[in-house]
Amino acid sequence: MSAPAIVPPPPPSPGPAPSPKKALHKLFLTLFLRGRSARGLQKQGAPQSVGSKLALTLVIYAAVGLSAFAFLRKPVFALSLYLHATTLFFLGMFVAASSGEVLFNRDEADILLHRPVTPQALLWAKIGVLVQVSLWLAGAFNLGGFVAGVGASDGGWLYPIAHLVSTVLEAMFCAGGVVTVYQLCLRWFGRERLDSLMTLAQVMVGIAAVLGGQIPQLLARFQGKIDFNVHSWWICLLPPAWFAGLDDVIAGSRSASSGLLAIVGLIVTAVILWLAFEKLAKDYATGLQTMSETAGAKRPKEARRRLLDTLSNRVPLRWWLRRPVTRASFLLVAAYLMRDRDVKLRVYPGLAPMLIWPFIMLIQDRGSARASGVSALSGFSVAFTGIFLGMIPLLAIDLLRYSQQWQAADLFRVAPVEGPGPFCDGTRRAVLLVLTLPLLVGVVLLISLLGRANAHLPLLLPGIIALPLYAMLGCLRGNAVPFSLPSEEAKSAGRGLKMIGIMMASGLLAVAATLCWNYGFFKWLLLGEVFVVAGLYLPLRASLTSSRWTSLE
Amino acid sequence: MISLQKLTKTFGRQTAVDALSLEIPAGQIVGFLGPNGAGKSTTLKMLTGILTPTSGTASICGFNLLDDTIEVKRRVGFVPESGAVFESLTGLEYLEMVAALYAIPAEAAQARIRQFISFFDLSFETLTDKLLGAYSKGMRRKVVITAALLHNPPVVFFDEPLDGLDANAAVGFKALIQTLAHEGKTIVYSSHILDVVERVCDRVIIIDKGRLVLDGRPDELVAAHGSGTLERLFTQLTGGTELEQRAQDFAKTFRP
Repeated sequence: MSAPAIVPPPPPSPGPAPSPKKALHKLFLTLFLRGRSARGLQKQGAPQSVGSKLALTLVIYAAVGLSAFAFLRKPVFALSLYLHATTLFFLGMFVAASSGEVLFNRDEADILLHRPVTPQALLWAKIGVLVQVSLWLAGAFNLGGFVAGVGASDGGWLYPIAHLVSTVLEAMFCAGGVVTVYQLCLRWFGRERLDSLMTLAQVMVGIAAVLGGQIPQLLARFQGKIDFNVHSWWICLLPPAWFAGLDDVIAGSRSASSGLLAIVGLIVTAVILWLAFEKLAKDYATGLQTMSETAGAKRPKEARRRLLDTLSNRVPLRWWLRRPVTRASFLLVAAYLMRDRDVKLRVYPGLAPMLIWPFIMLIQDRGSARASGVSALSGFSVAFTGIFLGMIPLLAIDLLRYSQQWQAADLFRVAPVEGPGPFCDGTRRAVLLVLTLPLLVGVVLLISLLGRANAHLPLLLPGIIALPLYAMLGCLRGNAVPFSLPSEEAKSAGRGLKMIGIMMASGLLAVAATLCWNYGFFKWLLLGEVFVVAGLYLPLRASLTSSRWTSLE
Repeated sequence: MISLQKLTKTFGRQTAVDALSLEIPAGQIVGFLGPNGAGKSTTLKMLTGILTPTSGTASICGFNLLDDTIEVKRRVGFVPESGAVFESLTGLEYLEMVAALYAIPAEAAQARIRQFISFFDLSFETLTDKLLGAYSKGMRRKVVITAALLHNPPVVFFDEPLDGLDANAAVGFKALIQTLAHEGKTIVYSSHILDVVERVCDRVIIIDKGRLVLDGRPDELVAAHGSGTLERLFTQLTGGTELEQRAQDFAKTFRP
């Protein structure tokens, strides 16, 4: 330590003063790309965690975006409607899953709120980063579309410019919309309920994004039955149509209807941005302050804790959780699923868009059944729902590995437990009991309601039988230690793609199950599945039990 | 320099700070003490603009906390108890970011940062190459203290600043804040290490349950209450009775 020195006042003016706004933007972009936590890392090693994932996601989005070439020689409006609907889905998923972490970070209050920056400046910088990354994603997906638009039946060289403008507007609409939802929740329901409201808001935005993404399917399904074009009055109710109208009025048919849609889009986007950044900005400041309050604004719900304790002390849970470490891990995960803001914000908005799919499929199937005068649902939708829900534990266990308090998980390594197995096992059991079981009950009820005396209900069995295996797969190599990884590593730009992957796998398995059902092999399928699941489950379980801690570098 | 007028903060039904009124002149080092949950951190967070008071107000350097929040923030440095930093920035990136928030030109910021590096015996390579998440607790605390003083504020709030600092750094730090006070800066120092407070501070303010319990020079207060040390006075005032007997009884429960 050198001798104490007096800090001199700043020199007169040795250079231009930097802009705090730019500094904030640079800060939040860096934090987004590197993540907010790092342990034992050199600077060179930091960005690989999130940045490289994002780069891979962009490449995959660009590949998926090549589907736009299917719209060659079709009208600009049809192409743009497809592109904007899909973009809105991807961006909605991304913004919904990322915004909670970006907008409301607990540590940030101690670091930034006593600096001379306004909440509005913080908000602008954060939204700027969300919009910037959204534009990277949208740009990657729309690359093919930019070219395809030039070759549209009424397209031309102006299309890439028009589509660029409309995509930027769409990204701002999406980010501004999410912020507005948060702020309205804060204003209407108060800051005491912020945690629950943020989760609810993100769940709603995620579901809205999935439903918005259904527009291309609607297009295909109702082609010929409904006048699904720019002149339909109701199309102005669909946000993607506003931005498609902007494309069409600049670089397509240039019809008055497109112009009207474009004007609606511009007005709605402007209103949302005004609401988000001007009218409701004070509510954001309130929300930020809530993050820094150390005194509990609300007492935790003791009843929930009592319920968990009571249940886990009674048969059959007392037997199922007879190993103390597994039981402790189960209670930890169950408590966090109910109480922890960070975990709730990651898990429920991450799962909700996935869970809405089976419901969409069942309800669409019901619509088709009614149209053809059949009272029951088709076997495929039921089998798909069962298998799809069976995969939920995989995603949930993955999401539960991340936490802002990840360093606290060092406790598990310090404890006299040889490996991560019991902790993973507790997580697996909590996911099965707290998340999956209620969902399954809900689905069974829904199917019973949608299809009277539904004979296809047994088609849920392939999914249910595979449940323990899927859950065990999530714990492979002891990788499912709860809350042991920094939350930034769960960056969700690729979640939309994961969902598509799971849907495709579920679809294939559901086709196999339906075929077996139709051709009378269903019992054999179930029997074979039981053997396969047991044959895989037991060695996987043994492997998990024998797994040992790896060195924490 | 700092003036609190019936400053109050409630969280739901719980009153964390209850109509606190104080005057702190320039150049004073004030020990701000209280048991856990007394409202110290909440008061500091209100005075630094992190939390909005429920009622009452305060002014710092003549600027009202509620009306001129940004001007207050320009004149205040704060070392929070949490010592939170953005762990995925290097130390230098973090300090440059903080400098930019106070509109300190890059060259001036670099020069100031080098002074602090020299004072705290940090290596410039560590500051440029290592992410803050990889720093030891003490090194991180040094960066947080640097970030609080970088803009040369006339008022500095320290909330457990010695937490994580080694003995040498702690000695240097104590000398630093005394010198800063002689230069006219106002230092508010919140800590549970009472012998340090007794040696460093010109004045001690003790609060409990959000209310002012005692205010005065440490030696005068100790003498007036006949408690011998500030630590004993603190336990007398904040209900810490029979602590030694309770500790002995508890320790006996560990006997095999």
